[in-house]
Amino acid sequence: MLLTRKSNAAGGSTSARVSSGLSSSLAGSLARALPTMDRRGFLKRSGIGIGAGIAAVQVGLIQKAKAADGKAAGADGRKVEVRRTVCTHCSVGCASDAIVENGVWVRQEPVFDSPINLGAHCAKGAALREHGHGEHRLKYPMKLVNGKYQRISWDEALNEISARMLSIKKASGPDSVFFVGSSKHNNEQSALLRKFVSFFGTNNTDHQARICHSTTVAGVANTWGYGAMTNSYNDMQNSKAALYIGSNAAEAHPVSMLHMLHAKENGTKMIVVDPRFTRTAAKADQYIRIRSGTDIPFLWGLLYHIFKNGWEDKKYINDRVYGMDKVREEVMTWTPEKVEEACGVPEAEMYKAAETMAKNRPSTLVWCMGQTQHSIGNAMVRASCIVQLALGNIGVSGGGANIFRGHDNVQGATDVGPNPDSLPGYYGLAAGSWKHWCAVWGVDYEWVKKQYVSQEMMEKSGTTVSRWVDAVLEKSEHIDQDNTVKAMVFWGHAPNSQTRGLDMKKAFDKLDLLVVIDPYPSATAAMAAMKVDGQELNPNRAVYLLPAATQFETSGSVTASNRSLQWREKVIEPLFESRTDHMIMYQLAQKLGFGKELVAKIKLVPGKGGMMEPEPESMLEEINRGSWTIGYTGQSPLRLKAHMRNMQMFDVKTLRCKSGKDAETGYDLSGDYFGLPWPCYGTPELKHPGSPNLYDTSKSMMDGGGNFRANFGVEKDGVNLLAEDGSCSKGSEITTGYPEFDHILLKKLGWWDDLTEAEKKAAEGKNWKTDLSGGIQRVCMQVHGVHPWGNAKARAVVWNFPDGVPLHREPIYGTRPDLVAKYPTHDDKKAFWRMPTLYKSLQQKNVEEKLYEKFPIILTSGRLVEYEGGGEETRSNPWLAELQQENFVEINPKAASARGIRNNDYVVVSTPTGARLKVRALVTQRVGEDTAFIPFHFSGWWQGKDMIDSYPEGAHPIVRGEAVNTATTYGYDSVTMMQETKTTICNIEKWA
Amino acid sequence: MARMKFICDAERCIECNSCVTACKNEHEVPWGVNRRRVVTINDGMVGQEKSISVACMHCSDAPCMAVCPVDCFYRTDEGVVLHDKDICIGCGYCSYACPFGAPQFPSNGAFGLRGKMDKCTFCAGGPEENGSKAEFEKYGRNRLAEGKLPACAEMCSTKALLGGDGDVIADIFRTRVVHRGKGSEVWGWGTAYGQSHNPEAKAPAKEKS
Amino acid sequence: QSGSQTAQGTVQDAATAPPPMTQALPNVESADIRYLQQNQAERTRVQPGNMAPVYRQIKEGQTHYSSLPALEAGMLIQPHAQFPGQARATTAGEAWRLYRNGPLTLYGGWLIIVAAVGIIAFYFVFGPLRTKEPRTGRLIERFTSVERITHWTVAISFLVLAFTGLLMLFGKHVVLPLFGHTLFGWIAYACKTVHNFVGPLFAVALIVMFAIFVRDNFPGRGDVDWVKNLGGARGHAHAGRFNAGEKLWFWGGVVFLGVIVSASGFVLDMLVPGILYTRGNMQIANVIHLVAAVLIFSAALAHIYMGTLGTEGAYQAMRTGYVDDAWAKEHHDLWYDDIQSGKVPRVRSKDGSKPAATSTTKTV
Ligand SMILES: Nc1nc2c(c(=O)[nH]1)N[C@H]1C(S)=C(S)[C@@H](COP(=O)(O)OP(=O)(O)OC[C@H]3O[C@@H](n4cnc5c(=O)[nH]c(N)nc54)[C@H](O)[C@@H]3O)O[C@H]1N2
Ligand SMILES: Nc1nc2c(c(=O)[nH]1)N[C@H]1C(S)=C(S)[C@@H](COP(=O)(O)OP(=O)(O)OC[C@H]3O[C@@H](n4cnc5c(=O)[nH]c(N)nc54)[C@H](O)[C@@H]3O)O[C@H]1N2
Ligand code: HEM
Ligand code: HEM
Ligand code: SF4
Ligand code: SF4
Ligand code: SF4
Ligand code: SF4
Ligand code: SF4
Ligand SMILES: [Mo]
Repeated sequence: MLLTRKSNAAGGSTSARVSSGLSSSLAGSLARALPTMDRRGFLKRSGIGIGAGIAAVQVGLIQKAKAADGKAAGADGRKVEVRRTVCTHCSVGCASDAIVENGVWVRQEPVFDSPINLGAHCAKGAALREHGHGEHRLKYPMKLVNGKYQRISWDEALNEISARMLSIKKASGPDSVFFVGSSKHNNEQSALLRKFVSFFGTNNTDHQARICHSTTVAGVANTWGYGAMTNSYNDMQNSKAALYIGSNAAEAHPVSMLHMLHAKENGTKMIVVDPRFTRTAAKADQYIRIRSGTDIPFLWGLLYHIFKNGWEDKKYINDRVYGMDKVREEVMTWTPEKVEEACGVPEAEMYKAAETMAKNRPSTLVWCMGQTQHSIGNAMVRASCIVQLALGNIGVSGGGANIFRGHDNVQGATDVGPNPDSLPGYYGLAAGSWKHWCAVWGVDYEWVKKQYVSQEMMEKSGTTVSRWVDAVLEKSEHIDQDNTVKAMVFWGHAPNSQTRGLDMKKAFDKLDLLVVIDPYPSATAAMAAMKVDGQELNPNRAVYLLPAATQFETSGSVTASNRSLQWREKVIEPLFESRTDHMIMYQLAQKLGFGKELVAKIKLVPGKGGMMEPEPESMLEEINRGSWTIGYTGQSPLRLKAHMRNMQMFDVKTLRCKSGKDAETGYDLSGDYFGLPWPCYGTPELKHPGSPNLYDTSKSMMDGGGNFRANFGVEKDGVNLLAEDGSCSKGSEITTGYPEFDHILLKKLGWWDDLTEAEKKAAEGKNWKTDLSGGIQRVCMQVHGVHPWGNAKARAVVWNFPDGVPLHREPIYGTRPDLVAKYPTHDDKKAFWRMPTLYKSLQQKNVEEKLYEKFPIILTSGRLVEYEGGGEETRSNPWLAELQQENFVEINPKAASARGIRNNDYVVVSTPTGARLKVRALVTQRVGEDTAFIPFHFSGWWQGKDMIDSYPEGAHPIVRGEAVNTATTYGYDSVTMMQETKTTICNIEKWA
Repeated sequence: MARMKFICDAERCIECNSCVTACKNEHEVPWGVNRRRVVTINDGMVGQEKSISVACMHCSDAPCMAVCPVDCFYRTDEGVVLHDKDICIGCGYCSYACPFGAPQFPSNGAFGLRGKMDKCTFCAGGPEENGSKAEFEKYGRNRLAEGKLPACAEMCSTKALLGGDGDVIADIFRTRVVHRGKGSEVWGWGTAYGQSHNPEAKAPAKEKS
Repeated sequence: QSGSQTAQGTVQDAATAPPPMTQALPNVESADIRYLQQNQAERTRVQPGNMAPVYRQIKEGQTHYSSLPALEAGMLIQPHAQFPGQARATTAGEAWRLYRNGPLTLYGGWLIIVAAVGIIAFYFVFGPLRTKEPRTGRLIERFTSVERITHWTVAISFLVLAFTGLLMLFGKHVVLPLFGHTLFGWIAYACKTVHNFVGPLFAVALIVMFAIFVRDNFPGRGDVDWVKNLGGARGHAHAGRFNAGEKLWFWGGVVFLGVIVSASGFVLDMLVPGILYTRGNMQIANVIHLVAAVLIFSAALAHIYMGTLGTEGAYQAMRTGYVDDAWAKEHHDLWYDDIQSGKVPRVRSKDGSKPAATSTTKTV
């Protein structure tokens, strides 16, 4: 009978096999449901299980048993392959297996072996396979003609774009073209784009990191060395307490919670500090609500109790920290009353949090956008660093500043990509750095210099993505370059992620050329095409859209937040007419006249349609050859690929491989940390294992140990900046502080002869960062156990920043004039990243105009788990789009009822810019009475109107909504030009 | 024989909706049909908020099965409650009866036209041949037959969602509870697998044979 | 293998001596009322880890947050419900299931069987009511064609609804064992679809029927007498155009039950604008529909019996529209008087003679 067929199918002789296989695989697989179980046994057992289970099935679906061998031809000749890739939606770096049948991505399987995610995903990762359909993508190049997008050919597009670019370069200089790169590019593409931009002759290039963690990168690097997450998600399992301040990991880094929740089960205490009661806060042992923008009062309030009770790590501070006494002076003025007045947290709560962090060491501190996106973001992040330094938590497993990065490859793009102030590997723009990279690229320094307007412009930082609008709209004489920006190239960046949408629309309409190279260029496209009444439109403007391939349509390496590199295999061929970003770079470079130079040292291989493109492996090797500063040198394609194939060999807690060999290449993985987290110094042959936790003196250098960097001299005003006696990485021959290494120091110490003859030749006149042979690094680490960058103290006082000791300053737009009087912002700046920048004058004006009365609610913004960034990709994915169908504002029940607003009503959120957003009201206690929150992933509505008609046909996302950044206000960090997106003001009324 | 069950650990679930999209992806379930969904209790209330992911629990004495006017439900050897879409008439009764709101329908129901009922299959397909195209089109993948567990549980971001042999997952859960010393409620088990008020169910509903 | 040895150890230890879950922490709620009123935050303060308040809330079936806009997506478990006669409240779905599958099916089924058997018994015991006087050959137009078309529309759609509806309720007990799942599935699908579309048609026809017949169904002279004489069983019962029994059918069956069954049917059909089609509402609608359906069906059995086998000549009236003077005098004497006195015309339709002529030749 029909209904019994199932049992019959599993019955009879096969049933025993099926069931035994099944249940053992169940047990095994479930074992991994909890990281405290052995994940390995499962694979074996599940292997058996699958084999037996599948024996009863021969139908054309993809079976893992076959697929596990990598390639298999089905009985009917179908080609089935498993391609290992990495989620492109955030910096956690979750691996995923794509199952591809005849070139079609048919299934997605979890990678239980990944030590980072153990098969787990968040909504976005679990919906990855939609990228294999991409129905809402741009399918062919398009051009805006009379307000509508029309299809054109690639040749037409590249010819016209390059001609326009060259004519703009000729007429207004190369700095009139601004290239917005992408944190979605892999490392290879990022590095290639920086080179591309340089060869075009400008430093006007930037990417998402500017509006993401730029304040972290600058603030943290200036404190102790690198501006990166010190430890790893996995290492948080070793923490005894964790303070999340300004991070909503449950929505933004969901899989990181796998490690944290596991740790919590073993007793870790979790504190969340956020203006909103988030999904992360819901998991905390203590939740503390602060007013947005007051992280420094909170952190100083915490330190106050730490100092007062003598909980600080005195020896650590003495040995490894510079300037803590100065900080202490500032901190002790933050009495509990002052703290409560500023951030709203009563003394008892503060004390409890301080006690938790101090008495449960190692304790870790996590931050993210809640701290970075402020006009004083650089100071906030340094305050966080200082708390951790005071507690002696940096360079300690279980401690650390766990700075959760943003995009999947924002870390990598920051490390080696298109930054306006540095070349790959954070090499500055000084002539020495240029010469270093020219040598690596195999081009002539003089030739590159000729591309620029002048050597001065070559060495001057470009403007930032947060200010491109002003670079277009300002008068030429106000900005620090010859001409305004006339052409924008958006190469993987959305527009709705930058603030001041109303001004941005003006800038879009003023441009001469707009090029969008993106799989989903539609948000930018629609914004450019839409008409705004009464606004002038440049009649000569040309707009082009080029379909880029996604990261699933190419291979390459991606750097997760914990600095591990993972290699993505290409899953499918580029869909539709799309081309890989590096192919487009190469083709455009050819048209612009520097095609050969761009790939001077890079191998070309046939790509889509047989056209040549640079080979990702070869591009990575170029990065390896040049990025000595941050140890991007050891991660050769061979090593990375071996790691990806053998994930099961790495321990989940330590990320280390105890022992094991890659079957395919014979590469010995023993001792390596997963993904060779940078710094992985020296050449690949040196086999540095990568650094799981930065500045960790308990490990020797060749084991991934380290110490703080000597980057700021050996003393400051007579105070020693180097580490004190006895403080050094394990096994170091020098057991006290020392400066960074160069050929001179090596010779002085008598270590020169440890170099081989070839190394000597290369190292002569060079330092640890510029010695292309890697000899200096090798000798330092392998022979003498010392850190090539020296051994210094961390700086609690960063004297080269506007506020050496982090000071609280009120946001430019706020609701507390009383506190503005006490904690005013900085003075205005004239030529800051080439732009005049307002601080105090604007803040004062806002107070004088009593904006706090007209806009009494603090508006903050951030993330939803289902969407990512500007959201165009994820809102085009039906599996995700269904889960968040409209944009909304979180508003407290009391604030709502005072305004006659009920849950799910349409409301208008207005801000001082004059923008009026139409969103749904989500009446919830997540926010306090004085605060409202709008997720920033929406676009496609413009002040209440759906702009669907402005989209290129067929390329609009499923869900559209009001972009919060249409309404966000002016305000930029005083060091990095980070936009102030986390604190502004608004009013909310019912939509009439 | 293993008895398949779900546990959603409310101490771990973070409402990330991975389970929901994993299911959509694996089975290509259309918009509007949600075999699994996540509910947050006391949203935004400090100290009281908990998220829970819910789908068909594959109840012991399944109310859906009992009310179906065409008796198209059946239970597999593993205790998975499945149904036959060829027989289903789309009356909606199973959804009225199900405590958890598991049964879903592709259309809106005017004139009772809902289309065939769809619900979580525990990734065990349907009555068609295991792994066949027909099975996939009607019920989605049959992971159990492939020796795999439900996609939702396998991809859960925090391993809050456990799906599999009831004894095994209960063990895992119990271990967690012991470690953390709280959060011992096994959500929904009472309703799904507990004592029934149904006199007919004294002799547990037998598999059809 | 590597690294996880210790971790595995903990699991095994735990596995060898698994403490009972309840022992891990006290999650049992005390009966103290104030304690029971605590919310989770308050409870956590006095008893960390005790999540009972949250789980109590869940069981209460409140709607909470879910990002999905679907109706009731935010409800984890249906709230409790208790239908009349049920001993205790359970989850609404479960309560409904027990109610529908239990008493409603059982008693409904029995009621229909009893009604059917009763009618059959009545027939065999008493036989049909025969017209005592011989036919006069003179005809009265009892029902105009509009009336008849309306009646038959109602009647046929009713029968269709009854058949298809009852198949949904009893089919799996009666038809499924005979036909097997596949065939029964098809039949049931067809029946359900037909039922869902014919229902509204029936309801519309019912309104027309009401409008047509309501005038002659107001209580009037003779009704008391008709009831006293048990409709003629104890001597002649006076009656107007419709006798009290028919009026009872009209008001109780057609109007009262008809409206209930139709209204609940419209709800089940999801055709009523402005109401939320929650599961709870649907359960209630179903119960009402079912009860009314079974009652109206049983009553209709009686009506149909009386209109066919039960009363000689009645069926002709409904088929042809015409009755003989003798029949009228006997069954509806007051009406007949009105006709004789000219108060009511003998033929109401303009072309009234035409159908009468054709049909009388056949039947008289
Ligand atoms: N689902 C999803 N995940 C993502 C992304 C995404 O778009 N979607 N993007 C990725 C990227 S690019 C990034 S940078 C990360 C960002 O990750 P997060 O920074 O964790 O995410 P946000 O929601 O931007 O902000 C975090 C929290 O900061 C709080 N906050 C606001 N103002 C303040 C303040 O003044 N002080 C403090 N302490 N907190 C404040 C907000 O309430 C919010 O809950 O997420 C990454 N992951
Ligand atoms: N109000 C407010 N604004 C914010 C934030 C906030 O919290 N509040 N957060 C800020 C932060 S932290 C960030 S990081 C930004 C994020 O904002 P964006 O980075 O602007 O947002 P995304 O939509 O992720 O943009 C990435 C683009 O790259 C495209 N893309 C994806 N893969 C590829 C590829 O392989 N090649 C190419 N060429 N393109 C690709 C995508 O289609 C998408 O259009 O937003 C910032 N803006
Ligand atoms: C008057 C005679 C009617 C009878 C005897 C009748 C009988 C029934 C019965 C027995 C059921 C099955 C209930 C169950 O199995 O629980 C049912 C269901 C239903 N009836 Fe009726 N019904 C009648 C009229 C109507 C009308 C007028 C409508 C609509 C306007 C209607 C719409 C429905 C609907 C929508 C269902 C649910 C079935 C489904 O959608 O699958 N019914 N009916
Ligand atoms: C096959 C089924 C049916 C048959 C054979 C039948 C037969 C009859 C007959 C013969 C009469 C005329 C009685 C007289 O002349 O006094 C009648 C009247 C009537 N019938 Fe039916 N009938 C059927 C079904 C129904 C149904 C389903 C309904 C409504 C739900 C209904 C409602 C009425 C009404 C309202 C009258 C007029 C009597 C009054 O208003 O009191 N009939 N029927
Ligand atoms: S978005 Fe982040 S957490 Fe989610 S699956 Fe992708 S990498 Fe993992
Ligand atoms: S959860 Fe609902 S659908 Fe699933 S078996 Fe139980 S009653 Fe049926
Ligand atoms: S909708 Fe289908 S499965 Fe559900 S009760 Fe009706 S016939 Fe059965
Ligand atoms: S078990 Fe399978 S069908 Fe059920 S919810 Fe999970 S993924 Fe969907
Ligand atoms: S995937 Fe896991 S954590 Fe995320 S919502 Fe589902 S059950 Fe909760
Ligand atoms: Mo970001």
